[in-house]
Amino acid sequence: MRYLLALLWIVPALAQQPPDTPPKPADQAAQAPAKTDDKAAQAPAKTDAKAESPAPATEQWVTGSVDLGYRWMTDIRGSFPQYRSVVNLGEGPKLFGLDFTITDPKKRLFDRLDARAYGWGGDPYSTARVDARKLGIYDFTFDYRNIAYFNAVPSFANPLAPAGFNEQAFDIHRRTMNIALDLLPGKRFTPYLAFDRNAGYGHGIDTFLNDENEEFAVPTLLRDSTANYRGGVHVAYNRFHVTLEQGGTTFKDDDQTQFAGTNFGDRTTAFQGQKLVLNSLQQAYGIRGHSIYSKVLVTASPFSKLDIYGQFLYSDPKTDVRYADSATGKFVNPDTLSAFGAQQSLATGSAVAPHTTGSVGFELRPFRRLRIIESWMTDRYHDTGFGLFNQVLQTTPPTNNITTLAPIQVVNYNQEEINALFDVTSKITLRGGYRHVWGDATVRAGTLSQTGDEVSGELRRNVGLAGLTVRPSQKLSVNLDYEAASSDRVYFRTSLNDYHRARVRAKYQVASALVVQANFQVLNNQNPSPDIRYDFESRRNSLAVFWTPAGSKRVSVMAEYDRSTLRSNISFLLPPFLTPTVSAYRDNAHTATSAVDLALVRGAKLTAGGSFFISSGSRPSRYYQPLMRLSVPFGKHITSNTEWQYYGFGEQFFLFEGFRTHVFMTGLRITR
Amino acid sequence: MTVSIRPSLRTSNEYQRARFPREARLLLLVAAALYATTVAGAQDKPAAAPAPPTDTKPAEYVGSETCQGCHEDIFNAFQKSPHHLVETDKKRGWETKACESCHGPGSKHAESASAADIRNPAKLNPAEADRACLTCHLNQPTHVGRIYSSHAKNQVSCVSCHSVHKNGPNGLVARKAPEVNQLCAKCHADVWASFQRPFKHRLPEGAMTCVDCHNPHGTLLARSLQTARANEPGCGKCHGDKAGPFPFEHAPVKVEGCMACHEPHGSANPRMMTRHEIGFVCLECHSNLPAPTLPANGTLGTSPPAFHDLRTPRFRNCTLCHQKVHGSYVDRAFLK
Repeated sequence: MRYLLALLWIVPALAQQPPDTPPKPADQAAQAPAKTDDKAAQAPAKTDAKAESPAPATEQWVTGSVDLGYRWMTDIRGSFPQYRSVVNLGEGPKLFGLDFTITDPKKRLFDRLDARAYGWGGDPYSTARVDARKLGIYDFTFDYRNIAYFNAVPSFANPLAPAGFNEQAFDIHRRTMNIALDLLPGKRFTPYLAFDRNAGYGHGIDTFLNDENEEFAVPTLLRDSTANYRGGVHVAYNRFHVTLEQGGTTFKDDDQTQFAGTNFGDRTTAFQGQKLVLNSLQQAYGIRGHSIYSKVLVTASPFSKLDIYGQFLYSDPKTDVRYADSATGKFVNPDTLSAFGAQQSLATGSAVAPHTTGSVGFELRPFRRLRIIESWMTDRYHDTGFGLFNQVLQTTPPTNNITTLAPIQVVNYNQEEINALFDVTSKITLRGGYRHVWGDATVRAGTLSQTGDEVSGELRRNVGLAGLTVRPSQKLSVNLDYEAASSDRVYFRTSLNDYHRARVRAKYQVASALVVQANFQVLNNQNPSPDIRYDFESRRNSLAVFWTPAGSKRVSVMAEYDRSTLRSNISFLLPPFLTPTVSAYRDNAHTATSAVDLALVRGAKLTAGGSFFISSGSRPSRYYQPLMRLSVPFGKHITSNTEWQYYGFGEQFFLFEGFRTHVFMTGLRITR
Repeated sequence: MTVSIRPSLRTSNEYQRARFPREARLLLLVAAALYATTVAGAQDKPAAAPAPPTDTKPAEYVGSETCQGCHEDIFNAFQKSPHHLVETDKKRGWETKACESCHGPGSKHAESASAADIRNPAKLNPAEADRACLTCHLNQPTHVGRIYSSHAKNQVSCVSCHSVHKNGPNGLVARKAPEVNQLCAKCHADVWASFQRPFKHRLPEGAMTCVDCHNPHGTLLARSLQTARANEPGCGKCHGDKAGPFPFEHAPVKVEGCMACHEPHGSANPRMMTRHEIGFVCLECHSNLPAPTLPANGTLGTSPPAFHDLRTPRFRNCTLCHQKVHGSYVDRAFLK
């Protein structure tokens, strides 16, 4: 990607060479004779005047900016792993942003090219994008992202593990690249090609288990990639459109673990008089997957009062599995309680999962004020797997465990929905509707180990829908959205069962420079089954104010406040004695964000704001990110930017995971 | 771990109150009040004075050059807009009349210069404004999921997000990540607040946008979630290692989706989980007694075997051992 970045630099540099000579009026006219002639026929005087004034030689056909600078940080107080899990910014010289547009006046290779890059120089979020377009000939898009993911949160694993943390921590980079080329955009036939790639690479902590008595945290190498190729054609006429697409996917996952040393795992006591230990481990996954898929999309407007929509989507992913591990140390066979010193495992398997989705619907407008929207869809996913697992324990005599399983998972989902929208007046629209959802899912879930019989869950849900949109004036709009559901069957204990969901959004322009917006939403879900008794309610209320006096010439203010509460109670069985207990979860949070822009003297600008989050309940925490930024222009094309941001995170129950740090950035923004 | 014995079962009245929360009743009241206010307001208007005699001849098309005479800035910007194709493309039937393709015939407006004599989509009700756009744009792949879109159902019109006149391919709608997110957050302020939580997808940092996961024009999936590889949930676009298919699937992943366990916008819980400890995420579902048939409550999910002693810390984080909880290539219990 360094080459890409270099290219992004070079292209505007080359592009800054001025055009050879300003086009002469006669040349200009020659370039678009038909258009000029046509216009001349309609408005001859005006067209002549335009033809006589060539494009100004000083017109910029490259515009853009580059942001360069340096970031400093104070020492990170508190948990560095937690800082990396949440913020992960580092010090050093940075390319904060590069953004330019080239508009080729001669329209040779492109009419317009936009290139952008942000966060280069070791930042955890590096992105680059190029959009090029030639009207009616092609649209091209290239998008690249490199996002660093770090996660090591001890409290989420076993904080008492003797070797520190033992969760599945990871430190990886995930890179995604998307390339798309549309040919003849806007024409009747638009062929297109696209390529997407997503890959992860990095290191992490994995757990090696020999049995339930001991877990050994070991370092692992994580690497996977998915490539997706697709192509198709859009056929668009005034009354209908069809898209045909064919695609294919390849996938591989080659995670590897190697360990040599002495690892006593997370068991602090001896098991059956033996101190268990892992001395060496080699573990390798070799997963290969591939898929083909097809897509047919249709829209049509056979009559002015009817629009029809349809989709058919089919994919057929397959996975082939190779796995091997070999470990030495001191282990115990839980079946015989005998000690042994080594073990090997080999596994092979496969999975196929044909997945079919279809939908059809229409919008009918029988009268000017009435719209009826009807839709039906089905989604069918059938996963058939096969797994052979062979484990050899070096006991005396050796113990060979072979397991063969052919699990399946079948999920059928269906939904039918009808909505009627009625414009009571030009300012009020009422909506009422009904949705019926039904389906079944067959899984091996008789016991946790999936060795039991197949069981089938069912889904039966009836949902009433309602809505109201009121716009009494240009300044005020209110939208209400409500649905209430009753379910006969659901798949899981925490699924939506008998629920109400309501949402209100209101926006009011109090004055020309002041806009207030309020949101409110509530979700209440109940499952009164005696052994579930799920009682869930979440609410969110937010208020936002935008104040932009005198067109934000001097000051502009954006402030938002959000209050959210969540209450959840559900009965569950607490192991090991399966004691009926209630899981109670609470999350009551306040979030405030603000940005105040102040125009200072000589074009300087001060921005102050940031976000503040504080929550109480089951995991009380706070996260502050105040920010100040000063921009001072030096001349027409250079602006100095200086920024301070504070990151402070703390948890009441896990004090050892808090962190705080100050981050300073200074740099120049050069614009053209 | 926070566990408590439930003190008593709720009465049926309490249950009814929970089923019909006061917000729901309040909403109905607010809706009724709004309806009454607006209808009454409309009815309170005095009867319009008889209109002066006007030319009853319908307006005619006059061509974009006429519009340019007064709206030069808009006209110039429009020359560089993708919509300019309408002005030049013969097959669409609006050649040299692109302005009037949305604003309607403009002869009366050209004569009177009165805003009342021309159609302004920005001031129409959303459904009518959308019809102006959908005249050309309906039969395109972008809109194939329109009937599932909550934007369409809730009267969020095209011009709420798109600027029709603006110049350049990036002018019609925000393309840069911060601008896209800002555009969505203008209405979805409550969702944006979730991204200020410590564990979230990286939207505030500009590494992602709302439209990476949601298609504002609507999709087959709930919440307008994007799809990948035809009909797979869009989460698999970036998290391909969790997409499968796996020989050993974990049922909720495919049956109810990632949001059965995760809060994708942001959470105070590490890894954006829906509960503060991973043990509760798992046990709230895995609480049916082992049996070869479905339990009386009809839900899937079985209690773990008895050696899972949750009184000891090493058993509280289920994913410590069941590390392939999104699905396993090798192990039926998601251990490898």
